[in-house]
Amino acid sequence: MLEIRNLHVAIGDKPILAGIDLDVKAGEVHAIMGPNGSGKSTLAQVLAGREGYTVTAGSVRYLGQDLLALEPEQRARAGVFLAFQYPLEIPGVANVQLLRTALNSTRLARGEPELDAMDFLDAVKSKLALLGMDESFLYRAVNEGFSGGEKKRNEILQMAVLEPRLAILDETDSGLDIDALKTVAQGVNALKHPERAVILVTHYQRLLNYIVPDQVHVLAGGRIVRSGDARLALELEERGYGWLIPESGPLAEARP
Amino acid sequence: MTPSLYRQALEHAIGSPHQIASRKVALERFFTHGLPTTRDEDWKYTALDFLERAELHAPQHAAEDWAGEDYPGTVLKFGNGRMTDVFTQSIHAHSLADRADTPLVVRTLGLLADTLPGGAALAEINSALWQDGLLLHLPAGWKASPLFVVHSASEADAMLHVRNLIVLEAGAEAVLVEHYRGTPELAYWHNGVTEIVLGEGARLIHLKLTEESAAATHTGLTLVEQARDSRYHALSVNVGGRVVRHDIRVNLIERGAECQLDGLFIADARRHIDQHLHVDHAAPHTTSRQTWRGIAAGRGRGIFDARVVVQPGALKADAQQSSRNLLLSPHAEIDVKPQLEIHADDVKCGHGATVGQLDEAEIFYLRSRGIDADAARALLLRGFAGEALGLLDRTGLADWLEPHLAAAMPVLNKERSA
Repeated sequence: MLEIRNLHVAIGDKPILAGIDLDVKAGEVHAIMGPNGSGKSTLAQVLAGREGYTVTAGSVRYLGQDLLALEPEQRARAGVFLAFQYPLEIPGVANVQLLRTALNSTRLARGEPELDAMDFLDAVKSKLALLGMDESFLYRAVNEGFSGGEKKRNEILQMAVLEPRLAILDETDSGLDIDALKTVAQGVNALKHPERAVILVTHYQRLLNYIVPDQVHVLAGGRIVRSGDARLALELEERGYGWLIPESGPLAEARP
Repeated sequence: MTPSLYRQALEHAIGSPHQIASRKVALERFFTHGLPTTRDEDWKYTALDFLERAELHAPQHAAEDWAGEDYPGTVLKFGNGRMTDVFTQSIHAHSLADRADTPLVVRTLGLLADTLPGGAALAEINSALWQDGLLLHLPAGWKASPLFVVHSASEADAMLHVRNLIVLEAGAEAVLVEHYRGTPELAYWHNGVTEIVLGEGARLIHLKLTEESAAATHTGLTLVEQARDSRYHALSVNVGGRVVRHDIRVNLIERGAECQLDGLFIADARRHIDQHLHVDHAAPHTTSRQTWRGIAAGRGRGIFDARVVVQPGALKADAQQSSRNLLLSPHAEIDVKPQLEIHADDVKCGHGATVGQLDEAEIFYLRSRGIDADAARALLLRGFAGEALGLLDRTGLADWLEPHLAAAMPVLNKERSA
């Protein structure tokens, strides 16, 4: 589904990713772990199409297409979803408005008819129930005044409504208490499907107790320095990242 | 505009000999002041010299019929300055011209407008030349259903001096919508003065939609005096006209009076919109709120000048201003001037003002959900505008206003290539 080859990414003159190779197949869950500044979030943002990053070498193919040639909205309509580490607050735009506009944009792009307000509401209510969210969430401005946990749950709600093929969760577990973590994991697990794949970007092993990955990759200094199965995450929990980090030390993670 | 043109217009004015005499006095007062110029601090952004050069006249013709718009309430229509039709009878809303001789009007009209500090030249012209407008008088305890007052222009080069008088006695409640409009591309001048007197505990919700033709000039002055525990909640939506100037002056003269002045302006193309608010906290425990949102695109220009004065003795006064503005083109301009003038201790006052652009991170967030860039910008813009429109939720007016807003929103993809 996703083939990343020798991906090099820089912000300005500053290299952040220095040759990533990664294959994610349909039905798989991959965890990308690593210390702060290792380039995890950059990888997630580049896959979603955030401006400000320069791909200096390498390629990314998604379902046979050149992912990097697509606009962010084209990627989303093709089924790529990024759950943001820091979801944005959008005053004045109701959650329901964002969800419906997003879903209908995607449906139109696929040649499916738009859902009217009633059909949409029926569809979204079942997703709310799945995530234990109250209907009043729909009518609040997007993330405005939401707690950290509510924002993360709202990301998962968007994911559940849009039903992506490839979901990338960027530190969705950070700042969550254990109950919220379980709810988020439940939302992700409910989405699992032989035709879908999930990439979990995380600093800690904690989330992986609830969403068991098929593969774990450790990113350090802009490269994948170790890959393994779920047991690698447990080992990292015990030993930290120090033993895996190359002598040169990690490159600082930066945002545009 | 030579004095003789104003004097000719006065010949069309109505009223008793006594009223005509006071109109003449007002006109002579205006001649001594003249139109404001950019040398006046309050007018430094808005030049009216084009009015000096124009040759305008009192309206000669009855209004043309315009395509009917559905107004969800009682409607009074004024065309080219005179009342044309009352679609639903209201026992409290009348043509001011028809009632000019009544004791209430004789006693109240001009109380606020004629006592303005110097330089209120536009109010003086209006006092001299007003043709008609709304008289709304609610006796104590009455509640009126939503009242729509439509001022429509269809005569080229007409000067239309609109005068409204609203008196709510103790405990009365009303919802008033003023809608200013005109034949598309027609040049004319609407100069309105609205005097509002709120008795103890009275409540007025007042929406003013300025949707004049793209060649029109609109000058409007709203004057409010509030007695104890009264509440005035206004929303000004300025989305039309070529040159628009809107002043709101509120005097909180008794304890517990509250006002909320919200507004939205959209200055695109070559539109110039100048808004001045002045709130006077003259009594203890008075409250004022201002939430203003501005959008400028194309070569549009917006000005938001808001002054709050807390007089000595106005203890526990509570005043908050918020003004946020978006510039959508490199040729657009917005000037924001919030001012707090505090002469009392133990008050709670604050203000915040920003001028910025649409946030690229927010645009990316929406695009990452499958929404294309133009739709994302439009959604953010509508959301931004919506921040000033909280009043609508409580009045049921949102559905009525929505198509007007949608029509006024700048087209963003053009904007980017500009």
